[in-house]
Amino acid sequence: MLSMHSYDDNGKMKDYHYTGPVQHRFSPYAFNGGTVLAVAGEDFAIVASDTRLSEGYSIHSRDSPKCYKLTDTTVIGCSGFHGDCLTLTKIIDARLKMYKHSNNKSMTSGAIAAMLSTILYGRRFFPYYVYNIIGGLDEEGRGAVYSFDPVGSYQRDTYKAGGSASAMLQPLLDNQIGFKNMENVQQAPLTQEKAVQLVKDVFISAAERDVYTGDALKICIITKEGIREEIVPLRKD
Amino acid sequence: MALANILHGESVRFQTPHGLSWDSRPNDIGFESEFGDGNSFAFKASLNSGYDDGLEKKIEFLHGTTTLAFKFQHGVIVAVDSRATAGSYIASQTVKKVIEINPYLLGTMAGGAADCSFWERLLAKQCRVYELRNKERISVAAASKLLANMVYQYKGMGLSMGTMVCGWDKTGPGLYYVDSEGNRVCGDQFAVGSGSMYAYGTLDSGLRKDLTVEEACELARRAIYQATYRDAYSGGQVNLYHVHSEGWTRVSQDDVLKLHQQYAEDKA
Amino acid sequence: MEYLIGIQGPDFVLVAADNIAASSIIQMKHDYDKMFKLSEKILLLCVGEAGDTVQFAEYIQKNVQLYKMRNGYELSPAAAANFTRKNLADYLRSRTPYHVNLLLAGYDEVDGPGLYYMDYLAALAKAPFAAHGYGAFLTLSILDRYYKPDLTREDAVELLKKCVEELNKRFILNLPSFNVRLIDKDGIHDLEKLPLGPK
Repeated sequence: MLSMHSYDDNGKMKDYHYTGPVQHRFSPYAFNGGTVLAVAGEDFAIVASDTRLSEGYSIHSRDSPKCYKLTDTTVIGCSGFHGDCLTLTKIIDARLKMYKHSNNKSMTSGAIAAMLSTILYGRRFFPYYVYNIIGGLDEEGRGAVYSFDPVGSYQRDTYKAGGSASAMLQPLLDNQIGFKNMENVQQAPLTQEKAVQLVKDVFISAAERDVYTGDALKICIITKEGIREEIVPLRKD
Repeated sequence: MALANILHGESVRFQTPHGLSWDSRPNDIGFESEFGDGNSFAFKASLNSGYDDGLEKKIEFLHGTTTLAFKFQHGVIVAVDSRATAGSYIASQTVKKVIEINPYLLGTMAGGAADCSFWERLLAKQCRVYELRNKERISVAAASKLLANMVYQYKGMGLSMGTMVCGWDKTGPGLYYVDSEGNRVCGDQFAVGSGSMYAYGTLDSGLRKDLTVEEACELARRAIYQATYRDAYSGGQVNLYHVHSEGWTRVSQDDVLKLHQQYAEDKA
Repeated sequence: MEYLIGIQGPDFVLVAADNIAASSIIQMKHDYDKMFKLSEKILLLCVGEAGDTVQFAEYIQKNVQLYKMRNGYELSPAAAANFTRKNLADYLRSRTPYHVNLLLAGYDEVDGPGLYYMDYLAALAKAPFAAHGYGAFLTLSILDRYYKPDLTREDAVELLKKCVEELNKRFILNLPSFNVRLIDKDGIHDLEKLPLGPK
C-alpha cells in the first residue's frame, strides 16, 4: 500500500507540495484475477479454472471457481471482474432457460457462443469486464472451444487460456498441444488422460509464478456421458 | 438507443449507470490498460502535434494489423494477416480477418475485432434483406454505404474499424474503403492497418496493368509478408481471396514462417 | 490539408478543389471529387472532418433537389447558401455538429454569378474570391494582388494556375491535381484538370 501511494508511475517520489487539483473518479470496475483454460479433444472438452478470488494484494476467497456449467455439453470459464462474471453468467442462464422453454431443446455450444457475442457487444460502450472461454461438444460430438474478448469478438480454437496467467499458459499449450514452430514432430491426437495431466501441470506452474492464480484447480471434463468434475489443490501462498 | 434495438432490445439494452456521477465517455472506462479492453488489430493511437489547429489537431493512425486489397484485370485480390494483439501480448495468431459477408461480398477487419465482426455481420443481414425485397443482389457501392451510414451514427463514441468492402456486381469489380471516422471512398488499391505503409510500398512498386491471377496473388502475398516482416503487430498467416465474376474464392493460407523460408530459398 | 478555391467573374464563377482523399498521413485516393452538384447551376465544395463532409453535403444536396420537386423551380445560389448556413448553424448548437468548410458557387438569372464562403462555425460571406484550407494562407494574397472584377474566363484560369503554382512551390504537402469547374448562364462546365508538377 505504501508503495502504491507515495510513488507515482515513474517510480519517483511524489511532490509533497500542493501541485494543483486532483480529480478522483469512481470506477465501476475491479480486477479479481483468476485464470481459465479450455482444451478441445476429439470427443471431449476440458474447461478448468483456479479458485482464487483476489483484489490488489488481498485474497478474498480460496474457494471461488470460475467454471460455470451452462448445459449438459457446455461449460463456460469467466475471469476478470467477478461482479460482471456473476451478472453475465446469470444472464446467460436466463437466456438458456428461455430458449429451452420455447424450443424444447438445449442450446448447442456454437449457438451459445454466438449469443454470448451479441450479449457482450450489447454493452459495447460500458463493457462487461470479463474474459470468457466456452468449452463443450459441437453437434457432431467433437470437442469445441470458443474464446472471447470483453466486447464480443470470438473465434473457435482447439485450446485457449484466459485471465491473469493466460500469457504464461498459452505458450506452454502452443508447445505441448499445438506443436508450434517444430519440425519433424508427429501430431499425435490428444488423449483425455494426457490433456487432464497437461492442464494440471500448467496450472501448477502458473500458481508458482502468478499471484492471482492458486489455491485449487477445478477441472470440468465434458464428454457425451456428461460432465465430470475434479479438484486439484494448488499452492495457497 | 439504436444499437439496443438492433440487438433485439428485450434482453440486451444499453445500461448507463445511474445515481453515480460516473462519466460515461467511451474511452474512460477506468480499467488498467495492461489487461486490455479487448483484442484489437488496430487500436487508435493519437499524436498531438502542437503546431496544428482545429481540423488537423490530432494525427491519428491505425496500428496492429495489415490488410490490403486491389483491383486488377481479373477482379479483386484481398490479402490479410492473422494476428490479434491486446497491448503487446499476441492474443491470437489464427484470426480470420476476411469476413465472408455473402458469396460475392467480402469485408476485411482492422481496428476493434468485435466492432468489425459485429457491424459486418449486421451488414450481411441487411444485404440479405435487400436481396429478398428487390430480387436483385446489392451493389458493392450500396453495401459499403449501408455500413458507412451505420457506423457514422456512432462517430466519436469510440468505435474503431477500418474495413475494405470488396465484391463483384453489375458494374464489375467493386472496392470501397470504409472506416469508423466516416470515410467511404472507392478506389483501385487500399491497405489498412499499422503495416499498411509497408504493404503500400510493396504493392505500388509491383502493380502492373497486365497482371495474371497468379502474379496478382503472389504480389498480394508478398506485400503482406513484407508488412509482417517489418511490423511487429502483424503476423501469423497470410489469407488470400480472389473476387471474380462468379463471387469470391479462397486462394490460399500460408504461414509467414513458411513464406519466410521459401522467399529466403528463392533469394539464395 | 485540403484546398478549395473560387473566383468570380462578371458572368461566371470558376472553382477548383484538390483531388486527394486522405486518412491520417496516407493518400487513399487521387481522383476524389469534393464538389457536389446542388442544382443545374449551383455547386457546393466541401472539405473538413472525415465523414461529415459527405454526409452534410449530400443532405443539403438532396434537400435542395427536394425543393425543386416540391415547388417546380430551383433555389437561387443566395437562397441555397442561406439554407446551408441555417442548417450548419442549427447543427453547430446540437450534440452532433458538422465540422465542414464550404464554398458555394452558382449562377442566377437575375443576380448573376455568386460565390459564397462558409466555415464550420456557420459564418457566411459573399465574396468575389475565396479559398479554404492551409493553401488559402498562401494564395489569398495572390488573389488580392491580381484579382480584377472584370477578369475574363482566361484571366481567371490563369489566376487559378498562379495559385496552384504557389502551392506546388511552397506548400509542404503534395497536391498533384485539381478539379476545375466553371459555372455560367449555361450551367456547370468541366474544365481541364490542373495537373501541375513543380516548375
